[in-house]
Amino acid sequence: MPSRSAALVGYGRGVTSEDAAADAALLADLRGVLGDRARDNDFERGLYSRDGSIEGSPPAIVCLPDSAAEVAEIVRVCRRHSRPFLARGSGTGLAGGAVPVGRPVVVATSKMDRIVEIDTANRIAWVEPGVLNLDLSRALAPQGFHFAPDPSSQQVCSIGGNIANNSGGPHCLAYGVTTAHIAALEVVLPSGDTTVLGGVEAEPAGLDLRGLFVGSEGTMGIATKAAVRLTSNAPAVRTLLLDFDDVSEGSAAVSAIIAAGLVPSALEMMDQRAIEIVEAFAHAGYPTGAAAVLLVELDGLPGGVEAGVEIVREVAQKHHVGHVRVAADDAERALLWKGRKNAFGAVARIKPDYYLHDTVVPRSKLTEVLEKVYRIADAYGLIAVNVFHAGDGNLHPILAFDRREPGVDERVKAAGRDIVAASIEAGGVLSGEHGIGLEKRDYMGMLFSTHDMYTQDVVRETFDPDGLANPLKIIPTGSRCSDSFHQHVPEGAWV
Amino acid sequence: MSAVRPVGERSGTASTFPLQLDIDSDTLASCVACGMCLPHCPTYRVTGEESASPRGRIALMRDVAERGEADAAFVEFMDACIQCRGCETACPAGVRYGHMMETTREALASQTSYQPRLRRLAYRALGMPRLLGFGSRLLGLSQRLGLMRLVSLLGRVRPFRQLGAMTASLPRVPVRQAPLTASGDDVWLFTGCVMDAWMRDTHRAVQSVIEATGAGVALPPAGAACCGSLHLHAGLASDTRRLARKVMAALPGEAPILIDSAGCGATMKEYGHLLGTEEARQFAGRVQDVHEWLAARVDELPEGAPTSAPLQIAVQDPCHLRHVQQAHLPVRRVLSRFFDVVELDDDGLCCGAGGAYSQQHPEVAGAVRERKAAAVERTGASVVASANPGCTLHLQAVGLDVRHPLEIVAEHLNGGAPQ
Ligand SMILES: Cc1cc2nc3c(=O)[nH]c(=O)nc-3n(C[C@H](O)[C@H](O)[C@H](O)COP(=O)(O)OP(=O)(O)OC[C@H]3O[C@@H](n4cnc5c(N)ncnc54)[C@H](O)[C@@H]3O)c2cc1C
Ligand code: SF4
Ligand code: SF4
Repeated sequence: MPSRSAALVGYGRGVTSEDAAADAALLADLRGVLGDRARDNDFERGLYSRDGSIEGSPPAIVCLPDSAAEVAEIVRVCRRHSRPFLARGSGTGLAGGAVPVGRPVVVATSKMDRIVEIDTANRIAWVEPGVLNLDLSRALAPQGFHFAPDPSSQQVCSIGGNIANNSGGPHCLAYGVTTAHIAALEVVLPSGDTTVLGGVEAEPAGLDLRGLFVGSEGTMGIATKAAVRLTSNAPAVRTLLLDFDDVSEGSAAVSAIIAAGLVPSALEMMDQRAIEIVEAFAHAGYPTGAAAVLLVELDGLPGGVEAGVEIVREVAQKHHVGHVRVAADDAERALLWKGRKNAFGAVARIKPDYYLHDTVVPRSKLTEVLEKVYRIADAYGLIAVNVFHAGDGNLHPILAFDRREPGVDERVKAAGRDIVAASIEAGGVLSGEHGIGLEKRDYMGMLFSTHDMYTQDVVRETFDPDGLANPLKIIPTGSRCSDSFHQHVPEGAWV
Repeated sequence: MSAVRPVGERSGTASTFPLQLDIDSDTLASCVACGMCLPHCPTYRVTGEESASPRGRIALMRDVAERGEADAAFVEFMDACIQCRGCETACPAGVRYGHMMETTREALASQTSYQPRLRRLAYRALGMPRLLGFGSRLLGLSQRLGLMRLVSLLGRVRPFRQLGAMTASLPRVPVRQAPLTASGDDVWLFTGCVMDAWMRDTHRAVQSVIEATGAGVALPPAGAACCGSLHLHAGLASDTRRLARKVMAALPGEAPILIDSAGCGATMKEYGHLLGTEEARQFAGRVQDVHEWLAARVDELPEGAPTSAPLQIAVQDPCHLRHVQQAHLPVRRVLSRFFDVVELDDDGLCCGAGGAYSQQHPEVAGAVRERKAAAVERTGASVVASANPGCTLHLQAVGLDVRHPLEIVAEHLNGGAPQ
């Protein structure tokens, strides 16, 4: 775990004169496509060396294309130079997906931020990948629609990043994660060719390659345009804040709400530390003394929503809820969500760095796994903060630390591994929504057999035989199963 | 956003020079790089470039602080920040970006040739009311006599390029202005430098609204000529401190000091932090944006002329009111007593004016302004209220009907007659 700028300072190290010459030739060709939007100065390479995770290493060159045609040209230039490339949206990914490995070319989509077409009749909008998630929903609001996936980072994360990570968000409990909201994709394949996957018609013919691309974390090419599905805004919305003296009562209430037959549009949980830091930022009136709070949102037709509120209230009372606060208006609702959605960043109020996992566990095991998380953090002398999508059992145990403390990185990573192990032991999985990227890659073997990973690698290689698109991500390399399989499987057998 | 670059032509020199950035390591480490500030940063919004984002700028500061050296690119990246502090409001981690940037600018100004002699002299003139008044009248006359073409031609010659860009975007400056007259000593009305030289009618309107509550207004003597805000943003903090001491001496007593320019108010509220003396802290405690003071007395204002339908007014929040002073809500309280207030949908994103910024980075400032103009258009309102002279001039330049909130109120109280 390098210090944030050490990566930048140290760039010169280990770069041979051949490397430098190769970089210069590559830069000249990229300049031919982009002019001065291809950059190789130390400062900017440093800025594109990391994302929201704790990993970092600088790219050789940063490209800032403005059109799909330019993206295709960049990919073709990279192919000619046998140089890997990777797409980057807003750099908020939490698994290191956008961290450059192997001195690649970074293709930042942030200048491609146009909403190309809004077709409310067919409930589709065509957008460029650099459009920010919340900008899209805001643009749709006057027509009564929104884009349903709402990661907590929605004000800043890009649609391209959402697609690549198949991101979720509080409201995906009822509406489904990103893949359910993408109809078609225009993609520049690693070959440099442009194609469209999926289609805006109800049931496109052929294999669902669109479904394959969504969640592939940039390893199958670069999305240059997306047809997203529009969700109509619910006529009535109610948001409730429930506080508990005991984390286990809160977790039990989560299961009980769902067991009562309700599917809230969102069902989020925060523990005491999370409540404190969030309140310090948002001033939303979160009860800082409570052991846990649940943020429950119900939407739909007014009658159904009001009935739902009563059911939640009854269930919560059975679980010894402290207070049931129902937001009085949109402003209060917005304030409560502002707190929840800024929780990760607010962790800096405790320690300047955080490392988090994204495991999913069965709802019935929430209490048990949470207790283990606290114990693991204690054992490594770290602070754990929990704020997560409780409705679907998607934990986000955050370990707060200060990377300037000597030796802390090993402790953080070891604690992370223990948390993943505890989650998987409880019947859970590795990632709910943040993707695997670089940080979680080496945990894949805890969940998948060598054969499983081999199969995934084969699919990936079908798209990218030369391994140029965001290499060294998702599938572990050390145990690179395919390497050994390559020796046994005759060439062409799997393509 | 494609065409806009955060900085001009890259100097392309790789040569570095020593630079000591005095920002402590805890402050530098306080950014977790979550990116929540990016959409609230005007320069990121129009460029889409990490180097023009708060997250990027902090990373660069951290890098330079660790290395103890910088290069020309670093200076350009820092200079391209509007210092609107929209990032600070958005930051869940509580990163104190404004202070970090001020420290960086101060280091650049004191250790490098970041502020060339000519610019320093220009800033100094702001604290000299006679010189400023004379210069302004000269400017006003030249504008009327068509001499500005000459100046802009001159601007094509390299050493005068900055001058050319600056004059091209200047508003029409008045040649003669009637003086203001004091009416009592309940409150001070701070009049400032450029605003008094160019927009004294705004002060006149503000004074009349304060007086409509029954209060008497004291006016500062010539010593309180300039608050030092532009100097602070340019990294000339010692000039700000010198001006601050003069301002404090010129406005003695206990009476509240009311400010009708958000930029000045933000700086004067910071005098305590800047000078670090008890006297300065007490002085800063007396400083209020005029709307804060009025909001508490809004019921004491008369009804004004009856209107058939209330005028729709879009409120544009100056960054130094919203993000620095957090005093943007009182503007609404005062305006909504008389008018139908409509909100912009851009979360208080900067308009691009930024004190001298729009003169120094016209391309970025223009692109940022386009976003603001589009937000205004989406409201459907035809009048825009803005409580800062810099924003007003910058937005007027694209044909928007922008006025100080209290000019609109004064006009209404006067039965619609123009002030
Ligand atoms: C404070 C905070 C809160 C968060 N909350 C949530 C949450 O609630 N739910 C959630 O799911 N995630 C969350 N995240 C993680 C992150 O925001 C999401 O994964 C988001 O979708 C990433 O978008 P981005 O634009 O930042 O992508 P980046 O980080 O730039 O990239 C992510 C991955 O996508 C690839 N990629 C980007 N653009 C393209 C493209 N056009 N074509 C192909 N590949 C591409 C990159 O190569 C990389 O692998 C949070 C992050 C933060 C910092
Ligand atoms: S300044 Fe604040 S909001 Fe911006 S990236 Fe840093 S921690 Fe996040
Ligand atoms: S002060 Fe304004 S322009 Fe500067 S980084 Fe912050 S938001 Fe961007």
